[in-house]
Amino acid sequence: MSRWEVFKQDAAGKPHQAVGSVHAADPQHALVTAAHVFARRPAAHSLWVTRAAAIYSRTAEELAAESQAAGAPTEGQAPVSFEVFCKSTHRRSMTFVEHVATIEAATPAAALALAGAATSDDSRALAWWVVPTAAITASAPTDAASWFDPAKDKTYKQQALYGAAPSRAAKRGAG
Amino acid sequence: MTDQSTSAPQVGASRSGSPKELGTVEQAALIEQLTALADDELLLGHRNAEWTGHAPILEEDIALANLAQDEIGHAIAWYGLRSALDGSDPDRLVYFRDAPQFLNSWLAELPRGDWAFTMRRQCLFATYDAELLSRPALSSYLPLAHAAVKIGREELFHLRHSSMWLERLAHGTAESRRRLALALASAWPLLPQLLAPMPGTLDLHAAGIWPQPDELREAVVARARAALSQVGLGAGPLLPTAGLTSHRGTHPAHLDELLERLQSVARADPEATHW
Repeated sequence: MSRWEVFKQDAAGKPHQAVGSVHAADPQHALVTAAHVFARRPAAHSLWVTRAAAIYSRTAEELAAESQAAGAPTEGQAPVSFEVFCKSTHRRSMTFVEHVATIEAATPAAALALAGAATSDDSRALAWWVVPTAAITASAPTDAASWFDPAKDKTYKQQALYGAAPSRAAKRGAG
Repeated sequence: MTDQSTSAPQVGASRSGSPKELGTVEQAALIEQLTALADDELLLGHRNAEWTGHAPILEEDIALANLAQDEIGHAIAWYGLRSALDGSDPDRLVYFRDAPQFLNSWLAELPRGDWAFTMRRQCLFATYDAELLSRPALSSYLPLAHAAVKIGREELFHLRHSSMWLERLAHGTAESRRRLALALASAWPLLPQLLAPMPGTLDLHAAGIWPQPDELREAVVARARAALSQVGLGAGPLLPTAGLTSHRGTHPAHLDELLERLQSVARADPEATHW
């Protein structure tokens, strides 16, 4: 059993966001348990899973420290595709990083440099994850109807149905 | 499919959807058929829920609780359709019937067993539901059509989950393969009862709202066999099990024990209006 990070896309056109992890034997097992654990409540459109060990992770502080040192040589390495994720706020409790770019590069560090360059005007970047595209397993679009759509009718799975946890809007109204 | 475009749709009054369109014989038959479906889903959900806190890993614990909730949701849908026909109260049916009045199959009520049996049973029920609910006959009676679409799509996910486990148990270790073979040996002989027509099934088929039972049985068995052969397992011919009639309503001792737990709170104060 290894640990898999799970990325959930709430709707078409929205970015995949890291929502947590599952332990599973293989990618298909990880996808199915991820659907139970993270998509039994609305809403989901697609799931990605990747072995936690496949993630290249850097915080803004680590990147700043590393920029003092010379980058590893990448010449001679064929570029491959990487998915780049970024955490840009501390205000979200249910998600960590979200997908920001797909980048061709020789190494994860090179992909990050390219991604960082592309978004250098965004000083809010707190942490980055880089994952080889080939290391990601995605749910099939044809599965959405049986995996994700039924949850939309299941309001009894939402805390709001029970009145015990007022919604954010209600809290704001009361405050 | 329906011819409602010229008049405002009214609940219970659509041309193809009104329970009043059914004859007395068909209505009685449908009530029995719906009760059997609901009772199977209820007990399967209850057995799955018994894994809560005991599953091999936390993720599967959550998954089994989620499956249980789905199955009990399906039971509520089927009891609800029955209620629309005879005004019965699903809560009374669940909490105040005794074992002989339950129309579930033996396969649904057997104790939860080990992980291999749980997944083997889940897969057989999901296969049965996927075949039954995709039969065109069900779509010609509006209330059934709606339920079949809603429940059928969830059963495809249940089928994926349980088939995935059959595959992994079959290709896992000698121990997982041994357990899967044992699970198959105890579940397979119970299929004939699950798939047997009820007394009114042929009336429902004649009325055009239920599949032909032999054709349905063959389709379910063929799909279950194909899934087994994919993982290198075979199942023998479907032979009647000793003491098991195709009639639903006889139960091995397991159901009394299950109902005692399921019904104890409701029966402690049958008149209670608040809990």
